[in-house]
Amino acid sequence: MNYTRKMAWRNVLVEGFLILASLIVILPMLVMIFGSFMNNIEVMKFTLRLPSEWHFSNYVTVFQEGGLARAFWNGLLITGVSCAANIVTSSAAAFILTRRDTKLSNFLYMFFFMGLIAPMSVITTIRVVQAFGFYGSITSVIFIYASLNTAFSVFLYSGFIRSIPKALDEVAFLEGAGTLSVFFKIITPLILPVNATVAIMVFMSVWNDITIPLYFLTDSSDWTMPLSVYNFYGKFSRDWNLIFADLVLTSLPVLILYLFCQKYIVSGLTAGAVKG
Amino acid sequence: MKISRKLYSYYLILPALLIYCVFFVVPALTGLYYSFTDWRLDRVGIKFIGWANFERIFTDKTLLLAIKNTLIFAVATVIGKNLIGLALAIALNMRLKTRNILRAVFYSPSILSVLVISIVFTPMLRSEGTINRIFESVGLGFLSQSWLTDPQIVIWTVAAVSVWQHAGFQMAIYLAGLQSIPKDYYEAATIDGAGAWRSFRSITLPLLLPALNINLMLTLIGGLKVFSEVFVLTGGGPGNASQVVGTIILRSFGEGSWGLGTAVNTLLFAAVTIIAIPLLIFMRRKEVSE
Repeated sequence: MNYTRKMAWRNVLVEGFLILASLIVILPMLVMIFGSFMNNIEVMKFTLRLPSEWHFSNYVTVFQEGGLARAFWNGLLITGVSCAANIVTSSAAAFILTRRDTKLSNFLYMFFFMGLIAPMSVITTIRVVQAFGFYGSITSVIFIYASLNTAFSVFLYSGFIRSIPKALDEVAFLEGAGTLSVFFKIITPLILPVNATVAIMVFMSVWNDITIPLYFLTDSSDWTMPLSVYNFYGKFSRDWNLIFADLVLTSLPVLILYLFCQKYIVSGLTAGAVKG
Repeated sequence: MKISRKLYSYYLILPALLIYCVFFVVPALTGLYYSFTDWRLDRVGIKFIGWANFERIFTDKTLLLAIKNTLIFAVATVIGKNLIGLALAIALNMRLKTRNILRAVFYSPSILSVLVISIVFTPMLRSEGTINRIFESVGLGFLSQSWLTDPQIVIWTVAAVSVWQHAGFQMAIYLAGLQSIPKDYYEAATIDGAGAWRSFRSITLPLLLPALNINLMLTLIGGLKVFSEVFVLTGGGPGNASQVVGTIILRSFGEGSWGLGTAVNTLLFAAVTIIAIPLLIFMRRKEVSE
């Protein structure tokens, strides 16, 4: 057998094996999706089968009883505002940190970098938030997410801003522009793709999170989708068709974002993989 | 012509620095102090009690078990996610017809909430659940287990679910690393008579170090901070068999033993720093020398 044909055979074998392996990923998801359309008796078999009757009404029930519309808007508000705050503050900080290159700026970079490693101290954060008088509110959660994601975003922006030639800033400075206008008129347009990457990465992690809402959102009318789903799961533990429908609805926003913004996710991952 | 550094005003750092300090650094530092106190929900004053909280952590059976479980989870998921992720990345870097769709399939669970995946797996992991039924139907009935109710294996089950969900994320980072390696390196190696294993060891592995580095750090730190998987799949049970540091902190918070809770968190902080920072420095050095 010649070399090319041997390679072709090897590829077919690997591909066949991978397709089999991908079933391990796909099947549990299909159990959830098909189950979300079944009645509450059929779903209890938890096997892979098409529903004998498609109950689209499960989704309506979930929306009405699970308070999902409210949770959807809460989630959108929390992720949207914390993303925006994070993008503006982190990119500005990364701009100065990478351009200055002094002992102080290097120290500050490492200081931010520690945030990628250190775990947050939840109980004392609650105390800080109480001191501000907004414990239990959506505001507290927004500030906490903006703060938790600072390290990651400063790291991502710094890598990119370093590759923008300093000469661009210098020309503007010579013409009398200030720091702010150089940042907004020269740097910001160039880092738009990074903004998209940061926005998507932060959106996904904030949207999916249950830890922070669990500790900080004391009022059920402020809950995000995952927390409402968790609560619903506790209350309706017999109606797995409704639980599955609830899970599908919670996952839809991130799935849609993933389908349309894959490019930006890949560039975020590449930055991590290549620069380490 | 060199422009003055002063033009890059430090004021632009302030908003980020302020938010980061107030909501992350200050709680972390005050946490260090509170872990040496008897801070409780039902007590007015706060008293300094030295190492008492830590002594309790290292003599309490449940707390010790939680530390052991956290370490098991961290090590098992670091190995599982990286081995499977790397294998998938290498396979999906080959010229396969379906590789784009396969990449998307393997990556997709990692974009979903841990909550979603954990709830989907709960009924399948029951004694009479889907997974045991599949084992029985293919004649592997001896493999069936009480996945979530046997205290001996429950933490391993939780780790396996986490590997199932996130190995695809590690795969994506390894793929990005593989794609940054120029193809002509391999061609040159083939001309020089290097076999597949030799090429892998001498080209792929050293050039993949940045990706390996970031993946090991991410999985290790993420593993030590584990909370949601355990919280949703078992709630720390059966009994306390699958408690981890993250769920112990929630329990201490609920019981009002805040001093003890922050002490547990301080321990986690110390563990992450002691393990992560030398690893970070060591791998950085290795990267430069190769």
